[in-house]
Amino acid sequence: MSEPAKNVASNLQYDLLTPHSGAEFHNIDLSADVSQNVIDEIENLLVTYGVVFFRDQQLTREQHRNLVARFGQLHIHPAAPAPEGFPEIIVIHSDAKSKGVAGSGWHSDVSCDPQPPAASMLYMKSMPAVGGDTLFSNMYAAYDALSDSLKTYLEGLTAVHSGADVYRGGSYKKEAAGGRLPVSEHPVIRTHPVSKRKALFVNYGFTRQLVGLPRRESDNMLRFLFDHVNDPHFQVRFAWQPGSIAFWDNRCVQHYPTDDYFPASRTAERVTLSGDTPCYEEA
Amino acid sequence: MSADAQRSEVTLNKTLLTGACGAILHDIDLAKGVDASLFNAIDQALMEHGVIFFRDQVITREQHKAFGRLFGELHYHPAAPGPEGHPEILIIHADEKSTFSAGQGWHSDVSCDAEPPMGSILQLESVPDTGGDTLFSNMYAAYEALSDRMRNLITGMSAIHSGKHVYQGRYNVAADEMVREYPESEHPIVRTHPVTKKPALFVNSGFTTQIVGMKPKESKAILEHLYQHIALPDFQCRFKWEPNSMAFWDNRCMQHHAVFDYWPQVRHGERVTVAGDKPFYDDAA
Repeated sequence: MSEPAKNVASNLQYDLLTPHSGAEFHNIDLSADVSQNVIDEIENLLVTYGVVFFRDQQLTREQHRNLVARFGQLHIHPAAPAPEGFPEIIVIHSDAKSKGVAGSGWHSDVSCDPQPPAASMLYMKSMPAVGGDTLFSNMYAAYDALSDSLKTYLEGLTAVHSGADVYRGGSYKKEAAGGRLPVSEHPVIRTHPVSKRKALFVNYGFTRQLVGLPRRESDNMLRFLFDHVNDPHFQVRFAWQPGSIAFWDNRCVQHYPTDDYFPASRTAERVTLSGDTPCYEEA
Repeated sequence: MSADAQRSEVTLNKTLLTGACGAILHDIDLAKGVDASLFNAIDQALMEHGVIFFRDQVITREQHKAFGRLFGELHYHPAAPGPEGHPEILIIHADEKSTFSAGQGWHSDVSCDAEPPMGSILQLESVPDTGGDTLFSNMYAAYEALSDRMRNLITGMSAIHSGKHVYQGRYNVAADEMVREYPESEHPIVRTHPVTKKPALFVNSGFTTQIVGMKPKESKAILEHLYQHIALPDFQCRFKWEPNSMAFWDNRCMQHHAVFDYWPQVRHGERVTVAGDKPFYDDAA
């Protein structure tokens, strides 16, 4: 076996799963007292590689929620039902009765919100022996890979993100979203508030239109960008086990849940961090 | 070898990579040779999973070629002559001088040939610490996931596959040889796998240029859609190489994509390619 890229920082050990995306931590028990140093280092890797992974964790709902709260303010999902007593937790479950996760495609969580979530931590409870991987695509790398002229074209543009199709017939809680419809306008190139790096911020799941462009041009450019996000060069593919945790930064990665395990049963729980209004800062 | 051949008596210890394709076969040392029952088991695993992987295989070129010959005649690459004495071997190499690497983008190997390869057996000796993964996509699953209307449209149609734009200038073949060296072929868009008899999508972004009998704009739109469809992760696995890992994929029902994200590190290995038959579509299958 090849010697993976071992790195040590704050006594934390991790491997990079691919050059751009995904750091997997070793020898850390998240149910124990985690020092502020370690929290800072996790956040540092999160905003750099877009997603970090942990294996073999055993967390209660309270520990899961409290851990994520160390990184910021918790977000209440506008559409998803929560377990009794834990409004900050979303249970993600599919089984033989599910229509599957088909068609959800590449997305950034709830980007139709005016202030989309900053990050999400998904904790896998049970799953099939094989299948149900999640892919993550690094949007700094996607931005960096564009030609200079296309970067110039996109910078300063905004796009409409709508949850109308996604949550159609569902339980989008307008009240929880302050009575707003799930439609927002966000910059196409977003400056990450922590890393200050530029990231592509349109996604197949929610983005519907580039503002101010003729519809045909908008449609064709979005089609190109959605395809660009799906380039394996920017991605990591994560195979879950029970007890695995993925913690991703919605501001600089998109993710894709694969639909290859029907009719097996899979259950996970997610806690989400509130985010700020996406902005673009000219460097 | 046909699916009707003697069933395997060997039970392989294997790990599936995803719900869509790919299995790592354990406890096999190809340098020790492959007897008939082991061959049957490996062949069945290849038919079942589309691509199979072996770890820690230290083999000579002769052993690599002999393993390939169990599955059929070996294929000679039309544009890349092999090393001295081994014309059937394709060297795969990228380092700090590389501006591209072979196999980027979704493709089926040498589909521009009239009889494209049945399968390819790649062994990598040197791999980067991180990066250089290969992705595989299952074309049975991709076909199944198309709408009924789209399946009806493309089934029975054919498309042109050309090698010229892929190989030109890459392998130092003299210009006057190009016409002879760069084949172009017409293949069915939906292909019946000769062994499993299942339908598989058989157009790829590397070689396919045009759907026959369609207006150019229609052809472009349909192909663009099919290429995006093939690239969906639901049909795929992503393989992380170690030194001396080997991958064997069935070109008739799989496409692959070699990620070039490790520059300037070295990634080096050799491929033996098994010859295949002329693609066909059989609506009775």
